[in-house]
Amino acid sequence: MISLREANPFAAFLWLMLAAGIAMFCLNPVLLALSLAGSALYLAVRNPLAARRALPLYLALFALSALINPLFAHNGATPLFVLNHNPVTLEALFYGMAMGGMIASSLCWFRSFQEIMTSDKLLYVFGSALPKLTLILSIALRYIPLLRDQAKRVRDAQRALGLFREENLIDRLRGEARVFSVLVTWALENGIITADSMAARGYGTGRRTRYALFRFRGRDAALCMICLALASVAIAAAASGALRCDFYPRFRLNGGGALGAVGYACYALLAFAPGILEWEENLRWRALRSRI
Amino acid sequence: MKLLVIRSARLRRALGIAIPFALIPAAVLWFALGPGRGHFALSSMLVALMALVLFSCGFERRKTGARRLILVAVMTALSVAGRFVFSAIPAFKPITAMVVITAIHIGPEAGFLTGALSALISNFYFGQGPWTPFQMLSWGLLGLFAGLLSRPLKRSRLLLSLYGVFAGAAYSLVMDVWTVVWYNGALDPALYAAALAAALPYTAVYAVSNVIFLNLLGRPFGEKLDRVKIKYGV
Repeated sequence: MISLREANPFAAFLWLMLAAGIAMFCLNPVLLALSLAGSALYLAVRNPLAARRALPLYLALFALSALINPLFAHNGATPLFVLNHNPVTLEALFYGMAMGGMIASSLCWFRSFQEIMTSDKLLYVFGSALPKLTLILSIALRYIPLLRDQAKRVRDAQRALGLFREENLIDRLRGEARVFSVLVTWALENGIITADSMAARGYGTGRRTRYALFRFRGRDAALCMICLALASVAIAAAASGALRCDFYPRFRLNGGGALGAVGYACYALLAFAPGILEWEENLRWRALRSRI
Repeated sequence: MKLLVIRSARLRRALGIAIPFALIPAAVLWFALGPGRGHFALSSMLVALMALVLFSCGFERRKTGARRLILVAVMTALSVAGRFVFSAIPAFKPITAMVVITAIHIGPEAGFLTGALSALISNFYFGQGPWTPFQMLSWGLLGLFAGLLSRPLKRSRLLLSLYGVFAGAAYSLVMDVWTVVWYNGALDPALYAAALAAALPYTAVYAVSNVIFLNLLGRPFGEKLDRVKIKYGV
């Protein structure tokens, strides 16, 4: 198999969206725990430094969310204690924990998403469906570093001319506004030249072809198929009510029988596969290097 | 990936009509009356995504000249780059002001695109998440409305400032709906009020910075855009 980072962006996008989305939209503690563990594993394998920095923050968010909900929601059959004449219930605490798990796991999935789905990959994914918007997006993405460099040059020139004062906030704001204003003129003129250059090369005269950095190979198709199969079993189990979980008035997790077990197993594969595939690739890479 | 590109122009056009006119009512019915009742987070996410799809289909179907295309791209890049230019002053972001100025001077559609794409691109730097479609939609709609109101907004500075305050407040109101629905599964009024109260300092800073930027940048940038429009005939 192949890690999501190396796979075709379509497959990686599909996999991450389904893994994050299923747990996000069915509020089931088992699915959420699997999702949280899977996403944390993936982030830890993909980028240990980012994981060390981000995971404590996500855990704090989880705790905060678990504590906030009982303060606002007072339904539930098992009061723990009474605060300001309002009962604080066990069910509300459970619901808050489920919500915290949902938020932490989706933040964690999207952190990994950011690690592997760089802007070129997203442009590739949406390029076939929305060619014109993707073109605008890629031009804008190219302009941002260009504008940042030009802004620095303009600011340096203004400073050298003695036009840029930084004594107080108002002066600084006015100075930056002048830099920005110069930048806008420059960017608009530059943009028109780009547009003329595009027109001169035949933009809009026929069907546009595009250069794709990625190829869709057999293994990418296999990855998509596996992902869709796992996700559809999990979604079917959720839709049939086998994964149903009630929080109010009393916490009750549906056993779900065989279908529920299959659904959990499929989702577990979906959630853990990215981390395991990445880990396997890391191992293989290390083994290859040691032989040299 | 030739399989995924829809080759037939007729099929593409049919899809462009079918998606907005069949799928959105179907989804609304499904979530309002059908088995999807109660899934507020999922339904609001789908509605936001479909609104974006609806708009992009309309944009893709029409012919757009290279110059108009580039102007939108440049204004998007400028509004994101503005975040870096003004990064020395905390919480001051010119994105909304740039979106409004673009919308007033180039048109509602350009305003929507600049708003939505600025949200998407700045999230490349500040983190994508399930909130991305909502940010895209709310900034896009702020641009769209500014474009529709372009005549009074161009004429009166007071109205422009009021629109800046409205934009700051509306952005917080919409984003907090998503925050609460995402967190709670439904729009709980007490929680929504708490979220709004917690966001109040940010809302105030948004509103104030929108007003400052619109007043500071509105006229000169408008003149620049109009000049480019006249000089090159966009």
